Amino acid sequence: MNVITNNNIRCIIALAGLEQVVDPEIGLNVVDLGLIYQVDFDEENKKIFVTMTLTTQFCPMGESITAAVKRVMEHTFPGEEVWVELSFDPPWSHERISEEGKKFFNQ
Amino acid sequence: MFGSDFNNAAGRNTTHKIVLPFYAYAAVSLLVSILLLFFSAEAFTQHYFHPHTLAITHMMALGWGTMIILGASHQLVPVLIEKSLYSARLGYASFLLAAVGIPLLVYGFYVFDMGGPAKWGGRFVLLSVICYIINIAASMSGGRKVNVHAVFILTASLWLFLTAFLGLALVYNFTFPFLPKETLQYLPLHAHVGIIGWFLLLIIGVGSRLIPMFLISKYANSKLLWVIYFLINAGLLSFLLSFLYFPSREYYNFSIAAVVLALLFFGYYCYCAVKERIRRQVDEQMKTSLLSVVMMLLPLLFLVVITGWLVVDQLSARMVLIYGFAIFYGWITAIIFGMTFKTLPFIVWNKVYHDKAGLGKTPNPKDLFNNKLYILMVLIYLGGFILFITGAYLADTYVLNFAAAILLLAAVLYNWNVMKVLFHKPKSYERHH
Repeated sequence: MNVITNNNIRCIIALAGLEQVVDPEIGLNVVDLGLIYQVDFDEENKKIFVTMTLTTQFCPMGESITAAVKRVMEHTFPGEEVWVELSFDPPWSHERISEEGKKFFNQ
Repeated sequence: MFGSDFNNAAGRNTTHKIVLPFYAYAAVSLLVSILLLFFSAEAFTQHYFHPHTLAITHMMALGWGTMIILGASHQLVPVLIEKSLYSARLGYASFLLAAVGIPLLVYGFYVFDMGGPAKWGGRFVLLSVICYIINIAASMSGGRKVNVHAVFILTASLWLFLTAFLGLALVYNFTFPFLPKETLQYLPLHAHVGIIGWFLLLIIGVGSRLIPMFLISKYANSKLLWVIYFLINAGLLSFLLSFLYFPSREYYNFSIAAVVLALLFFGYYCYCAVKERIRRQVDEQMKTSLLSVVMMLLPLLFLVVITGWLVVDQLSARMVLIYGFAIFYGWITAIIFGMTFKTLPFIVWNKVYHDKAGLGKTPNPKDLFNNKLYILMVLIYLGGFILFITGAYLADTYVLNFAAAILLLAAVLYNWNVMKVLFHKPKSYERHH
């Protein structure tokens, strides 16, 4: 798992949920694509901060993907406020694709 | 560790309301153009300066090729330059002006009336191009870094302005002769500024970004793209100058050599992008787009035959028609076929499902059209394309009519699939989620 977090157990739950969010063009979920950079939990204020990227900035599907990430996180952690932030620093690269993702692309 | 963009860059995409009318207009234009081809196939046995040939060429170049490129580039420019589009209003204005101007211009050519309809048509088209250039240039201004793809697009749009301006001047030259030579003499200049300056430069600029993007390729080579950029512009500028001031075969050969070299480099670029792709499977739409890269070389082959002194004059005039046909109905149509179904389904998917993604089962964008119908369309089209070239070479009206009928069937299938995407509605079980 190459995702930075301040809570490993809750992050694993979050990533399991985020596997439902699929990049519609590629057909692979955002976790195996390596789009999720960081998931931090502010348990005191019941807030979750997701920092993620897109395969290309201004990706036409970007708005849908980020909205879906927010929705899935809210569904996975009911009652908590979810903030999704986009980052292109560093930009996405194929090296972030998981082993599962590589298998998917090699099909 | 990560620099965040709190403004949510992904939220500044161009609205589908600007883009989709261009796609719909282009699809109908292809159908109209091939209908005109079907009813005027005999024109392809005569000289290329024939009213019906001029009408068909402009319907293809403006209604089909230019309209879909204008539409797609309103969507793609923000992706390429990583900034949002400057003005939606200019986008709408560009569509409306071209949508009114193109039929007027084509009608003017078809009945060969260079009066009101052709002049107003030309004026509207020119105004549409001006709106587009202002929008693209303003969108690009103040960008963080020079982007080779964006420079390709901006330069291409300036060549588009030049060819549209020259085209309007040629229409005026019919009724108020003010140019030193006859209108017919300027046609090669008008045509090549459009074909090389507008279509080739823009297709390479956009294709060099989209082809690796859709293949998920590791390959990137900006230096090679800059070399291609300078070769095409040097080739076109040298052609323009030699055409106007010192026409000679040697200068023309230099221009052709520069463009041929640029095309070979672009072919190499695409080959590397394919070779270094992460996604092993290449879908039919990408295969068609890659086929179009190979089809770029076909018109060049005909050009070599035309300028290569291999043919007698009568055949040479026919080869010019085949040359133009191979450009518009071959290379340009092939890349549009492929890229239509790589871009349009995503734009419509975003419109219909952007607030449903992640909530349950939604179809994939590629499910919005019928892929089997797409494959059938491409095969039928290629058959019609080869047959039409054969008919034009043999100057056989029966073969031309039959080939045009086959192309018409392919255009109907294309329209069917485009309309299926454009009018896509979520199924009832998707609405409940």
